[in-house]
Amino acid sequence: MPRFWNVSRNADVALAVLLLTAVALLSVLVPLSWPPDPLRGVLTATFQPPFSVVGEQVHPLGTDQLGRDLLARLALGTAISLGIVLVAEIISVVLGTTLGMIAGYFGGWVDVVIMRAVDVQLAIPFILLILLIVAVVGPGIGNLVVVLGVTGWAVFARVARAKTLEIRELEYIDAARAIGMSKFAIIRRHILPNIVGPQTVLLTLDLPRLIILEASIGFLGLGVQPPTPTLGNLIGEGRAFMLIANWLVLYPGIVIGALVIGCNLLGDWLVRRADSRAA
Amino acid sequence: MIPVKALSFVAGRALQGIVVMFGVSVIVFFALFLTGDPAAVMMPPSATRAEIDAFREAMGFNDPIWVQYGRFLGGVLQGELGISLRYRRPALDLLLERLPATALLACTALLWSSLLGLVLGIISAVRKNSAIDFVIRVISLLGQAVPVFWLALIMIIVFALKLRWMPSGGIGTAKQLVMPSLALGAYYLSAMTRLVRASLIEVLGENYIRTARAKGVSNWRVVVHHALRNALIPVVTVQGMYFAALLGGAVVTEIIFAWPGIGRLAVDSIQNQDFPVVQAVVLFAAFVFVVVNFLVDVAYLWLNPRIRL
Repeated sequence: MPRFWNVSRNADVALAVLLLTAVALLSVLVPLSWPPDPLRGVLTATFQPPFSVVGEQVHPLGTDQLGRDLLARLALGTAISLGIVLVAEIISVVLGTTLGMIAGYFGGWVDVVIMRAVDVQLAIPFILLILLIVAVVGPGIGNLVVVLGVTGWAVFARVARAKTLEIRELEYIDAARAIGMSKFAIIRRHILPNIVGPQTVLLTLDLPRLIILEASIGFLGLGVQPPTPTLGNLIGEGRAFMLIANWLVLYPGIVIGALVIGCNLLGDWLVRRADSRAA
Repeated sequence: MIPVKALSFVAGRALQGIVVMFGVSVIVFFALFLTGDPAAVMMPPSATRAEIDAFREAMGFNDPIWVQYGRFLGGVLQGELGISLRYRRPALDLLLERLPATALLACTALLWSSLLGLVLGIISAVRKNSAIDFVIRVISLLGQAVPVFWLALIMIIVFALKLRWMPSGGIGTAKQLVMPSLALGAYYLSAMTRLVRASLIEVLGENYIRTARAKGVSNWRVVVHHALRNALIPVVTVQGMYFAALLGGAVVTEIIFAWPGIGRLAVDSIQNQDFPVVQAVVLFAAFVFVVVNFLVDVAYLWLNPRIRL
């Protein structure tokens, strides 16, 4: 493989890093350092367009129907949405990888049961199942994280199983078995380390799905409840005022877009890198 | 005559679909019991203790849970998906009334986006690394990046509120179908374009394509007659997965454009705590998904003779 730097490939990763860094800075630095309160507004300063100045305070992204600063709300909403999505994704990865490795290593009826559960999970439209569960258990942040996490494990289980089936046949696994290592020790010490790489790539490519799903639930008003902002419920709330204050809908969508594009480009790059190593 | 292996493949996939539907029915049934007391979840918050108790008795929630599941499954198998608590009518009837609207929206979105996606994917693959390829790739990246509901709202702001070219919602005229189907199809268009491009580029690198070119077959004939058929195999196999995304997108699209389909029925029912209707919609959507995937598997068999033997 000749080691030359393809300009367009570099541009991909650069753009991904740029977008993801910008969103990360927005969600971390702004809540820590930007003075306006994201939850309490100034009722004399409602629906101020972007870059307007009220008293001493600049509102770079404008204000909402209660005179709350949109930049402050957007930053907090991004942080909350990202937190929900990342914790849920970790639950999915851990659950899926564990079940996938068990299915792949043990085979037999264990494999059959787990893989049919994967099919069932993939057959149910996520959004409807999640809406049903959230409607039953209530719309708290904790509930949402658990529901999103528990319903997203199937793809990770599939990949972990396929990878385990491949590794299981290698000689060093025979050797480990011959010296009397237990099955779970083999899975943990010899199979898991080989699965971490592919699962990281898959996680990057799965994040956009979850980001949009969380935002859709928030938009429908069935996720985290206002006044606590999330990327989805900001758009859902802003929808009622979009004729007079379209910035309330515009900016949260741009943040979602930046996140999704960033993850997709990064994921594509990770796939390409893994492919060129294997070749 | 149809070979035995093909028949057993089809039968196997059908059996798998039945097992999946059984699993879905278990999940949809037990979702109601997550809090332990479905009666309290389904009654309005203002209901008294006595009212909840009476409702629990009437719904049969006091019976052993496996008896309740048996009753539920028996009903589903006979096409009875429960009674709407709000409308006092069979949930299946409500669902079937709303089905044509969703089918119209989904089919229109699928039609334009898959045809355009096919064309853009071919152009992009044939003119790989050109300016037009770059533009098409940027468009497909953006199309997958924005949520359906955001795209829909921006379209309403621009085309309905500002320019006043389009109605912002409702159903009945062809004009009212334009924006919902555009919003819903955008993601699918991107996915399709990317898939066709990647698959076609791979096939165009094969030896038999070089042979065809060496024989002097024209460029477009190579693409259309020799490459496209093989390039479409991986595209067809993942259609089933994207169909689930389409259903999810239909839910929010219908809400935004006041489109009276089953997605809107589901969300309205959740907000009204009309759970039998929600269960019916989830079961129905999963059923459609399973049937579509079965058809995709059969199409795969037809497209790829190697597994037919």
